[in-house]
Amino acid sequence: MTEANVTVAESGTGSVPEGWQPHIVALVCNWCSYAGADMAGTTRLEYPANVRMVRFPCTGRMSPLMILKAFEQGADGVLVSGCHPGDCHYVQGNLVARRRFTIFRSLMDFIGIDLRRLHFAWVSAAEGHKWARVVSDVTAAVSEAGPLPAFESPEDWDGVELPSVGDGGPQELTADQLDLLRANLRRAASEVLAAKRVGVVIGYGAGSLPGQNVPKLVTDSSACEILDWGHGCVNNLSTYIGDALEHNDRVAVVVKTCDLGAITGLIREDQVRRDQLLLIGMQCPGVHSGSALAAKCLSCSGDPHPICDLVVSVDGVHESCLDPSDAALDMPDARDEQIAYLESLPYAERWRYWQRQFGRCLRCYACRAACPLCYCSSCIADKHRPQWVPTSIDNAGNSTWNIIRAIHLAGRCSGCDECARACPADIRLDLINRKLALEVERQYGRVGLDPEEKSALIDFRMEDSEEFIL
Amino acid sequence: MDRTQWLLTESQLREWVRSLLDAGNSVVAPVEEDGVLLFRPLTSEERAILAPSGKTRWSPKEFLFPRSEPLYRYTLDGGEVEIENPPAPQRPQVLFGVRSCDAGGLLRLDEIFLSGTKDPLYAARRESTTVVSMACAAADPECFCTAVGGSPVGEEGSDLQLVPLEEGWLLRVLTEKGEALFGDVDERWQDAPAAIAKEVEKLERRVAGQIERSPVKQEWSKTLEDGFEHEAWDRLAQHCLGCSVCAYVCPSCSCFDMNHEANAWCGEQCRSWDACTFAIFTHHASGHNPRSTHQERYRQRVLHKFAFKAEDDEPFRCVGCGRCVALCPAGLDIVDTVTAAVAAIREEGADAAR
Ligand code: SF4
Ligand code: SF4
Ligand code: SF4
Ligand code: SF4
Repeated sequence: MTEANVTVAESGTGSVPEGWQPHIVALVCNWCSYAGADMAGTTRLEYPANVRMVRFPCTGRMSPLMILKAFEQGADGVLVSGCHPGDCHYVQGNLVARRRFTIFRSLMDFIGIDLRRLHFAWVSAAEGHKWARVVSDVTAAVSEAGPLPAFESPEDWDGVELPSVGDGGPQELTADQLDLLRANLRRAASEVLAAKRVGVVIGYGAGSLPGQNVPKLVTDSSACEILDWGHGCVNNLSTYIGDALEHNDRVAVVVKTCDLGAITGLIREDQVRRDQLLLIGMQCPGVHSGSALAAKCLSCSGDPHPICDLVVSVDGVHESCLDPSDAALDMPDARDEQIAYLESLPYAERWRYWQRQFGRCLRCYACRAACPLCYCSSCIADKHRPQWVPTSIDNAGNSTWNIIRAIHLAGRCSGCDECARACPADIRLDLINRKLALEVERQYGRVGLDPEEKSALIDFRMEDSEEFIL
Repeated sequence: MDRTQWLLTESQLREWVRSLLDAGNSVVAPVEEDGVLLFRPLTSEERAILAPSGKTRWSPKEFLFPRSEPLYRYTLDGGEVEIENPPAPQRPQVLFGVRSCDAGGLLRLDEIFLSGTKDPLYAARRESTTVVSMACAAADPECFCTAVGGSPVGEEGSDLQLVPLEEGWLLRVLTEKGEALFGDVDERWQDAPAAIAKEVEKLERRVAGQIERSPVKQEWSKTLEDGFEHEAWDRLAQHCLGCSVCAYVCPSCSCFDMNHEANAWCGEQCRSWDACTFAIFTHHASGHNPRSTHQERYRQRVLHKFAFKAEDDEPFRCVGCGRCVALCPAGLDIVDTVTAAVAAIREEGADAAR
């Protein structure tokens, strides 16, 4: 749409129009790099004139939204520059930003943004020479990368065949065992309601389609017969906790092990207190996606997790509640190979892959609605002043939306895959989330099921790695 | 009009698609993309999925009512403003392989965009579009066209219809627009015997028999309207998550919003899909929201399909494709909902308090 966009190369073919010069946007911190650039100017250093500067109070104020906006508006490259660690005018803004950029950069790489387009630097007010050098280097790198590929779905493209995820998953349960589990669940639910330990049980009932289960709220201890359990119990019911707590002091939630990360997240982020919840942990036969086991289940044992208050297995119902700080949640994932495969493809191929996925996005926001950790009362995608996420339902706007959704969940996403399940367009949001989770873990270590632990992206260490920063 | 009908083999069918492409039509047909069946403009007849049953993930409505479209564009040059109208459709369009329910859905869109003040963008696109529907040889588990007055071989909204029969693909011409799609009919095409109508009926009976839902009754509309404030809605829509999967995959949902995309030099005023299930749909600038709960919003969607009619015998706006049932992330079922609402309203009286 934009003027700058006009120079974008056709269909990402890599053809460089004659006389093309890269457009580069530099987001700079007012207290250091901006002054550094000024210094470069007053000392009459020569450097390329391709960079347009936007001044910010701190790298901590620079959201990935702003970088995405630059790309969406036709920039071929972006440079982010701020104060050296330890020199932040606001003490730690750049340290939090450093983590955020590390993770954001890995996602941009994953979706096919050539990293020669995206640069980060520490340039102080006294480093006029460094500023000139950084700008020259960045300009050279962006020139090499060429014009930004277009935000559009590839036409007539055969696509990428991802490696299959193989099989695995929890032990198959027999029909009798499932019946036993259901009976145990109904008994447990009915007892906690009768004993007034909770006002409502959030569980599953039968759906209207074959094999389908749907969320059901039960408030009456004699109505627990409608509760069901089996392969159709896909929903992460923690999405309903907030609403249920509006009418009840304490609620019981029927949970699978894969739902627990979200509940921990909600407690960690002060959306709910542990004592408002009674968790009924279920032995899980694995849930279905279509007629097959969902990908997340392939690496799961299906055992109910001991941090739940009640544990329901074929053996019966037990009171539990292990201290969460002792609880490990180790879930390797069969999809990691798919991620590695995508990462092995050239940028152009990755870009095509994700542009076709994002091109399908309808902006129905089911991913957001189904996510237990997307609880903002007003989402950035719904804001128009300023409008960071384009409202138009096209590749540019959809790309921004899909990237920013993932970034807002980075370090928080619990891997329950609800967004990907809800997505009517089958966009592989699960791969994006998992990629970010892997990167967060690789850089900053794992955050487990202890709500007392801080999530990685609101935390920092002075010695965090920064090998990519100029 | 005299009915003209042929029996085609699959390769003849593809050849025909080829000739439509060669004649300069944009042929939009189901194709598979990353495992998802979707309507897409064809670049070659080979890509079209000609399946006797199964529907695309969402309806073909976006080819008449795009997800987003600019109403005008402008550039700012110094003090000068230049305004540009959106381009008129360049090529005639053929929607190919549209299920009967979806073809009916297009008529529901016409109701919104063509009755009263015509929407010029929609009208131009509609004018240059011919619909080739494809009857169903099997119903999906979520299908319920027959419960809302439709049929798996329904002709409503189609200019031409393909029926998958054992004998081959029966192609029937239903309208003049449909007839105009042929130049000279290929002389190798085999005329279908009049008796083929029996086979079609058989197919219709068989597929309709696969649909288990009992009919939604016309008189329910009034009951639903009377029971607008009934407390059952609180319970029935409790699990709605407030996304818009149902509305965006629906062949007859037609709501939109205006949005503005711009920078310092140029911009465009657009119309983009929107849905009554979103909280911001009715959010006033003052902060007030007349539909403040997701229950009220979901009720709006359901009633707009099954009630809110000008005439008692107006058809429902739901054509029974079942997509919203199959794709709702919370598992809400629109037929179960109206059925339960009607039952509750009748049992407890229209104004059982909320
Ligand atoms: S991943 Fe979740 S749904 Fe799948 S088997 Fe494990 S606990 Fe069950
Ligand atoms: S659920 Fe899928 S289609 Fe809907 S907004 Fe999210 S990514 Fe887009
Ligand atoms: S609802 Fe009816 S017309 Fe639509 S796909 Fe199903 S059987 Fe075919
Ligand atoms: S309301 Fe649901 S079943 Fe009815 S036409 Fe729309 S998507 Fe199909």
